[in-house]
Amino acid sequence: MRERPAWRWWIALAIAVCLTPMLARAQGNYEIQVYGAETVPPETLMVELHSNFTVDGAKFPADGVYPTNHQEHETVELTEGLNDWSEVGFYIFTSEQDGHGVQWVGDHIRPRVRVPDSWGWPVGLSLSTEIGFQRSAYSTDTWTWEIRPIIDKSVGRWYFAINPALERTLHGPDVNQGLGFAPGAKISYDFNRVVSGGIEWYADYGAIDNIAPIHGQQQQVFVVTDLNVSPLWEINIGIGIGATGSTDHLIVKCILGRRFDWGRHSAID
Amino acid sequence: MKLSRRDLLKLSGLAALSPALRTFSQETAADHSIEIASTAIELAPRQVVKTVTYNGQVPGPLLRLKEGRPVTIEVTNRTDMPEVVHWHGLFLPPDVDGAMEEGTPAILPGGAARYVFTPRPAGFRWYHTHTMAMNDLSRAQYGGQHGFLMIDAHDDPGRFDQEFFLALHDWRGYLLASDDGAMNPSYAVATINGKVLGHGEPLRVKQGQRILLHLLNSSPTEVHWIALSGHELRVIALDGNAVPTPRVVPMIRLAPGERVCATVEMNNPGVWVLGEVRKHVKALGMGVVIEYAHESGAPRWVQPADLSWNYEQFAADRTAGPSSDDRIGAGSTVIPLVFEAVFRGHGAMERWTINGESYPDTRIQPLVHGQRYRLQFINKSIDDHPLHLHRHSFEVRSLGRRIDADSSAVDQRDLRGIIKDVVLVDAQTVTEVEFTADNPGATLFHCHQQNHMDLGFMMLLNYA
Repeated sequence: MRERPAWRWWIALAIAVCLTPMLARAQGNYEIQVYGAETVPPETLMVELHSNFTVDGAKFPADGVYPTNHQEHETVELTEGLNDWSEVGFYIFTSEQDGHGVQWVGDHIRPRVRVPDSWGWPVGLSLSTEIGFQRSAYSTDTWTWEIRPIIDKSVGRWYFAINPALERTLHGPDVNQGLGFAPGAKISYDFNRVVSGGIEWYADYGAIDNIAPIHGQQQQVFVVTDLNVSPLWEINIGIGIGATGSTDHLIVKCILGRRFDWGRHSAID
Repeated sequence: MKLSRRDLLKLSGLAALSPALRTFSQETAADHSIEIASTAIELAPRQVVKTVTYNGQVPGPLLRLKEGRPVTIEVTNRTDMPEVVHWHGLFLPPDVDGAMEEGTPAILPGGAARYVFTPRPAGFRWYHTHTMAMNDLSRAQYGGQHGFLMIDAHDDPGRFDQEFFLALHDWRGYLLASDDGAMNPSYAVATINGKVLGHGEPLRVKQGQRILLHLLNSSPTEVHWIALSGHELRVIALDGNAVPTPRVVPMIRLAPGERVCATVEMNNPGVWVLGEVRKHVKALGMGVVIEYAHESGAPRWVQPADLSWNYEQFAADRTAGPSSDDRIGAGSTVIPLVFEAVFRGHGAMERWTINGESYPDTRIQPLVHGQRYRLQFINKSIDDHPLHLHRHSFEVRSLGRRIDADSSAVDQRDLRGIIKDVVLVDAQTVTEVEFTADNPGATLFHCHQQNHMDLGFMMLLNYA
């Protein structure tokens, strides 16, 4: 394992960036991430903190849901590797906003499987499914389910990933909407061994058989950087703009992850 | 002096005129024939790989030669790629050594050539392809082109009742992101003599026998650790050269290209496993059954608790202390060689440099005939490297000094007597070896990991 003398400084910087929105007492979406196909290794726990602050979002309540403007969302994601081709993730969503304090929003569980590396496929492929609850004060649809194919590929300094996710409301006003289409994609470039930069795109087109008009779609583009300071750490920082009227206009996001090996990993193993 | 690709081609062209390696259509029958061709090899039930082999088998045929007796080996290339056969560990002229970089001509697709040479020194050597694979993890050393080469001395090498030649190999490679931030080969199958554990014939022995194991790591990139459950291994030779201090060890470590000869007293009747010590590699199949006569049942494997190996234990006993003239480097010219990785993206394998240069854009290191040289391997990378010097053997003189340690402050053991042609240099350490420039001509030096040599980890030394 390579650990560079500067990695602690990078992590300190990332923590500072992640905490800045909290100090500003604000909020945003819950988990803003394009998944890669890789899963967490067995006997390993990945702990991630997703910090998202909506700098410029919805300013008025809609359908009894709090406005997103200046919401600070802190999401804890715990992912345990089951074997070398599967994992299960668990989310704790929270929101903090002036007048509402820190609130629990909901929880999701997300099993995921992938094509093992030993199959030698030319691209990484995995499939995750996520089911969970969120309080009605934060989402009109309280029970939702998602299935997310994940395809990715690294070519030299370039990285590509696409997540053509399908969503289904199990309880809430959109329960009769059927499957919704909410894709995400990422392209990034490795400037050096530590610093990568790229673009992430997130969209929600509404029902797959009844695509929403442009102004009713969600379209967000983030400029991001990934800091590969150590195999134990994951750092992703980005700033995103919403391109339609239904999208929050400006969001700052940060993902800070740390891998913990809890199993017995001797040289023999 | 810079070596361009054009220079290389010129070198190869000149070497084609060499009497040692000839294309032919005449002459008398060769002593041995090797056909390079694509073959389907069954590693295990329902596990067949299509690979390039020597004479349709993996490993290729055992070539048993007499030291000092000239031999002619006819090689036919039935593949659609140029090939060359490297006679690893022999003191040969560059035009027949089997590296195009030194000037050995390629055997073109559909062509044939005769390698004519006088084998020396005696000992356990091997032969293998010396071509490039780049991103194709089924070609070159990733495939099945390797075989045992035993050079028998005139005198008896020692008493044993039976000998076995065993080649460790990894198959079905794929690139995997690793902790160093780059892609590295990983493997789906690991075998001994081309078979996974339980698929090949067992090694049949009798109680009271002393067997001699000739172990070769022909893996393209992987270090392996081998133990024989229920028995101890007495190491008598490294890379085919007798060690000054034979030792009984619980396991043997072999880097790519390395060989170890060990005797075993068969004094524990039963059915046992000789296999990889690390569980995840053994699970890929690296093992072979050792079966005593009149014994049956499931093969037994006793899992070692830890890894254990070092070269130093086989060095000459220096209890009397070194004399002034055999201090490290005394009377030798030092050539420092610094190894570093160059990042090419998280989706690519790293490029490698020696003293800041990556082959083929490297200087040729000039040597003087008869001079003693000390190669100082300064491994600044985070990978271990099995380093191989062609056409010569070297003596390992020091091992494992941390790269950031003050050499004057380090109590480092001065080693003597370990003669090798491949040495594994640990990450972030300095290792020193010495050799005498007594076999003139272009001499290739490289990391024996296929992906490293493909991506620049090579250089030439030369002297007239």
